[in-house]
Amino acid sequence: MSEIIRCEGLTKRYRHTVAVAGLDLSVQAGQVFGFLGRNGAGKTTTMRMLLGLIRPTSGQAWLNGRRIPDPGGLARVGAMIEEPAFYPWLTGRRNMEILARSGPPLPAARPGAVTTALRRVGLDEVAGHKVKTYSQGMRQRLGLAVALLRQPPLLLLDEPANGMDPAGIREFRHLLRSLAGTGMTVFLSSHLLAEVEQVCDQVAVLHDGRLIEQGRVAELAARRAQVRVVLRPVDQPAAQRLLAAWATRADGTDTLLVDTADGRQVNEVLGRGGIWADQISVQRTGLEETFLAMTGTGPAEAAHAPAPC
Amino acid sequence: MRLLRAELDKLRRPLTWAVAGAAIVFCVLLAAGGAHNAVGSAGAATVARQLSPAAAGAEAAGLLASLPGALAIALLAGGHLGGEWSGRTMKNLLTQQGRRWAVLAAKLASLWLAGVALLAACWLALAAAGPVLSRLEHLPAAHQPVSQALSLALSQLGRALLVLAMFAAIGMLSAALTRNTIGTMATTAGVFIGMLLAASWPGVGRWSPATWVQSWMRFPAGLSSVTSLPTNFWSRFISASGGAPGQLAGLAGLLVLLAVCLAVTVRIFSRADVSG
Repeated sequence: MSEIIRCEGLTKRYRHTVAVAGLDLSVQAGQVFGFLGRNGAGKTTTMRMLLGLIRPTSGQAWLNGRRIPDPGGLARVGAMIEEPAFYPWLTGRRNMEILARSGPPLPAARPGAVTTALRRVGLDEVAGHKVKTYSQGMRQRLGLAVALLRQPPLLLLDEPANGMDPAGIREFRHLLRSLAGTGMTVFLSSHLLAEVEQVCDQVAVLHDGRLIEQGRVAELAARRAQVRVVLRPVDQPAAQRLLAAWATRADGTDTLLVDTADGRQVNEVLGRGGIWADQISVQRTGLEETFLAMTGTGPAEAAHAPAPC
Repeated sequence: MRLLRAELDKLRRPLTWAVAGAAIVFCVLLAAGGAHNAVGSAGAATVARQLSPAAAGAEAAGLLASLPGALAIALLAGGHLGGEWSGRTMKNLLTQQGRRWAVLAAKLASLWLAGVALLAACWLALAAAGPVLSRLEHLPAAHQPVSQALSLALSQLGRALLVLAMFAAIGMLSAALTRNTIGTMATTAGVFIGMLLAASWPGVGRWSPATWVQSWMRFPAGLSSVTSLPTNFWSRFISASGGAPGQLAGLAGLLVLLAVCLAVTVRIFSRADVSG
C-alpha cells in the first residue's frame, strides 16, 4: 500500500493562535480514514492547507506523492470543505458544469461525468432545479457530486453528512464503502462518531492542533478497554497487588477495573496468585468514549462541551 | 478558454441583467432629456447628430467610459469576484483550479467583456431610440455622413475598451482587498469618485487617473450644463483649471495604472488564505 497523504511538521499559525502545530500524518491509499477532533482542533485548517487554500506557516505535505502546493495535482483530488456553497441562481447541473470547466479538462472517455456524479449521489432528478431551492442535505450531496466529478484517487471530505437525513446518512455510508472498494482513498472528518466507527479503517485524533492518536479504529478502542473483575471483598487488596503491572482501581468493594483488553492474562495472573475471581469480563469502549477520553472531555464535561468533530 | 467560458457563464445572472437594464434606461433617459432640452436651441442640430444610429456609438462609449460605466463595473465586480468570497464559492473554484493567476485572468477578462457587452447594448438601445426621439422632438435632420459618424463612434469605442479594462482592474483589486460583495462595490465606486475629486485639486489634478481618462477619451473639459446631451459623465466633475495632459500622457497613465492594479491584485490574491 502506498502513502497517499503525508504531512511533516505541518503548522499553521495565525497572529496569536496556533491552529495546527507540527502535524505529522501518514495515510495509506485505499483506506477510509477518519480525521477527528473537537471544534477548533485544526481539522478544517489541515484540509485547507492540503488543498492549497491556505498557506502553511511551516512544514510540508504531499498529496498523491506530490509536494503541495501543487495546482496541477488538484485534478487528482476531490474535495468538499465544510458546507459546500454554490451559485444559487444556477441549477445544480449548471453549477457542476461550470466547476468542471473551471478545472483541467475531464478525460474524453467520460463525456457524461456530470450526469454520472449526480446520479451517484441521488441528485439526478433535481439537477435541473436552481440551487437556491435545495435543502442543506441536497447541497451536501451536490458538494459530494462535485468532489466525485473527476473520479479522483483521493477524496477529502469535511463534515460531508451535515444536514443529511438518516436515510441519506445511510446511503452516504454505503457510498463511502463502495468508493473505498474501487480503490479510492477517503479522508473524512465527521461529527458522527458512530458513522466514523462504521466506515473508517483508521482514524487520527487532533486536539488543540496536535495529533494525539492515530491507528485502526478497533485498536484505539482496545487501548481504552478494561477488564472488570468481580471477586470476594476480602481478596481485593491481594488482587490489586498481583495486578500491579496494570493500572487498576476499585469499583465498590467487590470489583476491580483493570486497564487492559487481555482478560485471559488477568485471569492467569490471579490464578497463579491463588485468587479465583467470580467473574471476569472485558469492557470495550466505543469510538465516542475513546474520543472523549483522548480529548480530555469526560462524560460530565462532555454534557456541557461542544460536540466533537 | 474553458475557464473564461465558465466565468462568462457565471455572469449570466440577475445582477448582470439588472445592471444592463439600468445602464440602458439611463442612456435612453439621458438622450430623451437631451433631445427635449435641445428643441429650439442652437444646439439642436448637434444633438440630432449625436442621436443618429451610427454616432450613438460615440455617445455610448463616452457614457460607459465615464461614471455610469465605472459604477456598472463596480457592481459587476462586487458580484463576480467579491461575491465568490462572501458566497463562499471561492473554495470550490480554487479546489478545481489551483492556478490562481488563471482564475484572476479569467475573472478580469470576463468582467471586461461584460463591460464591452454593456457598451454594445447601450449603443443598440441608443441607435434604436435616437431616431425616434429626434422625430418626436422635431429635431433638425442630422447632416452628417454615416461613415464620418461611424468613424468617430469606432474611435471612441476603441478608446473606451482601455478605460473599461482599467475600471475592471480597479474592481478586481478592490475585491482582492475587501473579499466581499458590498465591500468591493463600495470600494470600487469610492475609488472612482475619489479619482474625480482628486482631479479637481490644484497641482494634483494632472496626475489623477481621472484626467488621464479625460485626455485619452478626448472628453471636452469643463462640461457644466446639464441641459444639452452630454458626451460623457466625467468632465463635469473635473475643474477646468490647470493644464490637462495630452492623449499620449493619458494613455501612458492608464496603462501604468492598469499594470500596477493587476500586479498588486495578483500579489494579494495569490497569497490570500481562503478560509471562508
